[in-house]
Amino acid sequence: MVRLVLASPIAVATRGEREIEIEFEGTLRGLFDLVTNRYGKPFQQRIFEGDGALKRFVNVYVNGEDARYLRGLDTPIPRDATVDLLPAIAGG
Amino acid sequence: MGYVRGLRCRACGAEFPAVQLAVCESCFGPLEVTYELSAVRDSFRRADLAERPRDLWRYRELLPVLDESARVDLAVGCTPLRRAADLGKALNVREIWVKDDTVNPTYSFKDRPVAVAVAKAREWDLPAIGCASTGNLAAATAAAAAKAHLPCYVFAPASLEPAKLLVPRIFGATVVPIEGTYDDANRIALLTADRRGWGFVNINLRPYYAEGSKTLLFETWEQLGFELPDIIVVPLGSGLLMTSLEKGFRELRELGEVADPPRLVGTQAAGCAPIVQGFESPDGRPKPVRRPETVAESLAIGDPGSGFEAIQAMRATRGFADAPNDPDILDGVRLLARAEGVFTEPAGGTTVATLRRAREDGRIDRDERVVLLITGSGLKTPAVWRDAFQPLAPVPPNSAAVDAYLGGLHHG
Repeated sequence: MVRLVLASPIAVATRGEREIEIEFEGTLRGLFDLVTNRYGKPFQQRIFEGDGALKRFVNVYVNGEDARYLRGLDTPIPRDATVDLLPAIAGG
Repeated sequence: MGYVRGLRCRACGAEFPAVQLAVCESCFGPLEVTYELSAVRDSFRRADLAERPRDLWRYRELLPVLDESARVDLAVGCTPLRRAADLGKALNVREIWVKDDTVNPTYSFKDRPVAVAVAKAREWDLPAIGCASTGNLAAATAAAAAKAHLPCYVFAPASLEPAKLLVPRIFGATVVPIEGTYDDANRIALLTADRRGWGFVNINLRPYYAEGSKTLLFETWEQLGFELPDIIVVPLGSGLLMTSLEKGFRELRELGEVADPPRLVGTQAAGCAPIVQGFESPDGRPKPVRRPETVAESLAIGDPGSGFEAIQAMRATRGFADAPNDPDILDGVRLLARAEGVFTEPAGGTTVATLRRAREDGRIDRDERVVLLITGSGLKTPAVWRDAFQPLAPVPPNSAAVDAYLGGLHHG
């Protein structure tokens, strides 16, 4: 099972659900498509820009690695991955 | 009593009440506190300021703490603004001032934002506080937590200098040493704060925390006789200090106290310069650095949360961004110590190095009045000097041995 973890501010996109388990294997883009099917357009609108890029205030981590340093939305998601969606707040 | 109006998103402008909100609910952008400035104007008077206590609460109308009893009194702020005449001669600048935040209670400017964040945590009766830190914030948060009788959890890279991991433990904090970079520590701190309902000062208390840092600008303005300098050189980690200073300026301007902004100049180490690279790129977006490598570890934040807004602040004030390398940074530390008797951590050497470089290539003019923000003490980072100073061999306690020792030694 892929475990999707959303920080509470981001969880407005999933009707407040902060941990979601999904049977999935594929790419990050495919995972988000599946989540969009489940939670509808509001998820997509809150997480993505109109051009399909991730919003700049949302960071995505696959097994702890920032997806930007992997292959972005083409990053492979193994069936037991943990994917974190966190607001981009780092540093003091 | 307070003058807080609410929270506003810096990105989309959405407004919210002043509650515990980390980011904008609409676009997840950064939030800032807004004030009823017309009401502030009536009590925020220059003549009255002189009579007030010498700590950061002297600017209370522009700080978002409503319950005075929630404050933790560690005498934060009102640090010296030192006229640095010898440094000015060395760098060929007519007027340099050093804003010396090495003398705050835990030896860095972080005591300022923490003072506000911990007061909010007490107002909201949070069960514990914490932070993700490169060291300075850990000490500041732990000290304030001790005084506030709150449990404190510090997430920091396990590779930090030992002194920086030790100090928060002396204050009674629990240190969680994370295998990895600061950004790894920050990510897991964010998840932990979220799961446990703790107040992490630079994460879910961030909009309030940010307010404390702008007191550096207010103090500088007051100490220069209610004038702002031409230039402020600001070390950049997350960029939040820069955006806080810019906000402080906007508030003073809206109060009618000042007219033109100082040029805001940001500086990072070449080994971790995501904001400087972003400043130089057409899109103005920070360029994240996966593995920071610099002696200026207090600035080693690869994915700076306020980088975009810091770049906007520098551009809007006709400032610039600069990234000296580690040898230049350490030279800067040494120069400040030997010219002015102020021992800064490498972050402060970064500001000195940038001023030197900007004088050499003309980005700063000789006649501009410059303020350098020296944001932390060098005593926390002795390890960066390991290679620069030979170990001392013991000298027998007699005059001949001392003469022989001094005779064979480069002095200084």
